[in-house]
Amino acid sequence: MRYPDLSFEPFFTWANRPRILYKAGVREELGFEMEKLGGTRVLLYTDKGLVQAGVAQMVIEAIKASSLELVGVYDKIVQDARLDLINEGAAFYRKCGADCMVVVGGGSVMDTAKAINIMIGGGHEDFSPLAEQVGLFDGAQPLPPHIAFPTTAGTGAEVTYAMVVLNDIAKAKVAVGHPFCTPDIAMLDPELTVKLPPKITAFTAMDGLTHAIEAITTVNANPISDALGLHAIRIITKYLPEVMKNPGNVEARGYLLIASTMAGMSFINAFLGGAHATAHALGALYGIPHGLANSIMLPHVMTFNLEEKPERFVLIAVQAVKNLQKSVGLTQTLKDFDVPDDREALQPLIDLAMGDSQLPYNPRDLEEDDVYNLYLKAR
Amino acid sequence: MKYWKDETEPVKAFVTLWETLSKEDEFIEGMKKVNQLIWFDYTEDGPNCSFHVDGRDGKFIVKAGKPAEAPDLTMSLTADNAHLSWANKLNPVMAITRGQIKVKGSATGLLKLAPKLKKVALYYEQILKDLGWADKLAK
Repeated sequence: MRYPDLSFEPFFTWANRPRILYKAGVREELGFEMEKLGGTRVLLYTDKGLVQAGVAQMVIEAIKASSLELVGVYDKIVQDARLDLINEGAAFYRKCGADCMVVVGGGSVMDTAKAINIMIGGGHEDFSPLAEQVGLFDGAQPLPPHIAFPTTAGTGAEVTYAMVVLNDIAKAKVAVGHPFCTPDIAMLDPELTVKLPPKITAFTAMDGLTHAIEAITTVNANPISDALGLHAIRIITKYLPEVMKNPGNVEARGYLLIASTMAGMSFINAFLGGAHATAHALGALYGIPHGLANSIMLPHVMTFNLEEKPERFVLIAVQAVKNLQKSVGLTQTLKDFDVPDDREALQPLIDLAMGDSQLPYNPRDLEEDDVYNLYLKAR
Repeated sequence: MKYWKDETEPVKAFVTLWETLSKEDEFIEGMKKVNQLIWFDYTEDGPNCSFHVDGRDGKFIVKAGKPAEAPDLTMSLTADNAHLSWANKLNPVMAITRGQIKVKGSATGLLKLAPKLKKVALYYEQILKDLGWADKLAK
C-alpha cells in the first residue's frame, strides 16, 4: 500500500497506557504480574455469559494456580456500563475486602470495571455525579491494581482512558475520561476469545474496524495513529473472514485481538467521528449492539466524509467495508431495528448524535440535516 | 497573559460574544437543551476575570462576573486558553486531558454545543475585529 503525504495538526498529544502482554495462554502470567503491582486479594469482574461459557473459569484457574486469593466474582455486568451496576460492583469490592481487580470481558465489562476502580480509588459511593462531569482529569490519582483480559476483539477498551456509561434514565451514553482508569496491564490471550459466538465476533471486529477508520480520518489524525490504524485495518480485513470460517483458529483470533488493541490506541489519541456519534445514539435509543450500529453507519459516514479528506480515504475504500460486511453476514440496514424514517420520530436520535462527544472530530462538519440524511441512507 | 492587556479585555470580548449568540435562534435553541447556569471562570488571571450564562428555563442571560447562585457547571481555564477555545484553536478534549480546562459539575449538556464551536469562532473573529482587536486573532 502506497502511503501518500498526509497532513496533520501541528500539535498533538499521545498517551501510552497500559503495558500489554500478548500470548496464547498469557493468563498464566497473571499471578506474577499482579504481585508486582501489589495486589493480593482479587475480585474478578465478568458477565454471566462468560461464566457459562467457561471463559471466566479459565482465568479463575490461573488465579488459583498463583499466590493470589480470589475473594469474589461479580458477574452481573450486562450490555453497556450501567450506573446502577457500577455502584453495586464497587460496593461488592468493598464488601469482599478486595485490594485489586481482574477483569474478564468485552467493552461493557471493562468499562464497568474502570468506573468501579475510579470509585474505589477515590472513595466514592455513587458514580452518577462523576459521569456527569465527563472529564475526571483534575487531581486524578493512580488507582488500585487492575489487570484486564479482553474477551472480544474490537472495543479496544483495554487501552482507552475513557469509558462509555449508559444513563438508563436519561437514555443517553456518555464518554467519561480518567487518566488512570485503564488497566495497569492488558493481557491479550486469544484462547479466551475462541468461544465467542460468530455474531459477536463480527460485531466487535466491525467496531474495531470503525475505530481504525475513524481514527485515521478524524481531524486529529497524526502519524502515530495513522500507523496503528492502518495496520489494524489490514489485519481485520484479512483475519475477520478467516475467523468467521474457522472460529477455533487461535492464531487468527490473536491477530484480531492485537488489531483491536492497536485500533483502540489509535482512536483514544486521535478520537473518532460521525459513525460513532450516530451509533452511540442508535445504541441508547434502539438497543442496537454498538459494533453492529457502527458497521451499518460506517460506509454512509465514509461516503459523506469523502470530499473532505480524499487523500486519506484513498487508503480505505468504502466498497471494501461493504464487501467485508457482506462476507461476514452482517445486516447493512437500520430497517431491521424498526428505526423510523420520518423526521419527527427520528429527532430524539438526531439530538443524541448531535450532542455526542465524538461528533466534533468528524472530518466534515455534520449539521442536523446531515445526521438525519445519514440515518435515512442507513435504512 | 499573552493575548490580553488586563482582565477587563477578555471579559469584554467573551461577554460580547455570548450576547451576540443569545440573539441567534440556533444558539437559543441550543441553550434550551443545555438548561444550565454556567460559570466561565478565568479568575486565575484576575479576581474579576469571569462571566456567566444563565440558560435555565428558556432564559439566555449573559453577565460579567461570578453568578450569585451556585452554578450547575463551572469551566475553569486561563483567559488565553479561553481565547483559543472560542477561536476554535483549542481542542477541548485534549485541553481537559492536559488539565488546561477544569470541569466542575455536569458537562453533558454543554457537550451538545460542541459541534457549534466552528460557528462560534466565526462570530468571535468578527467581534474581535469590531472591538478593534483583530491583532488578537489566534494564530
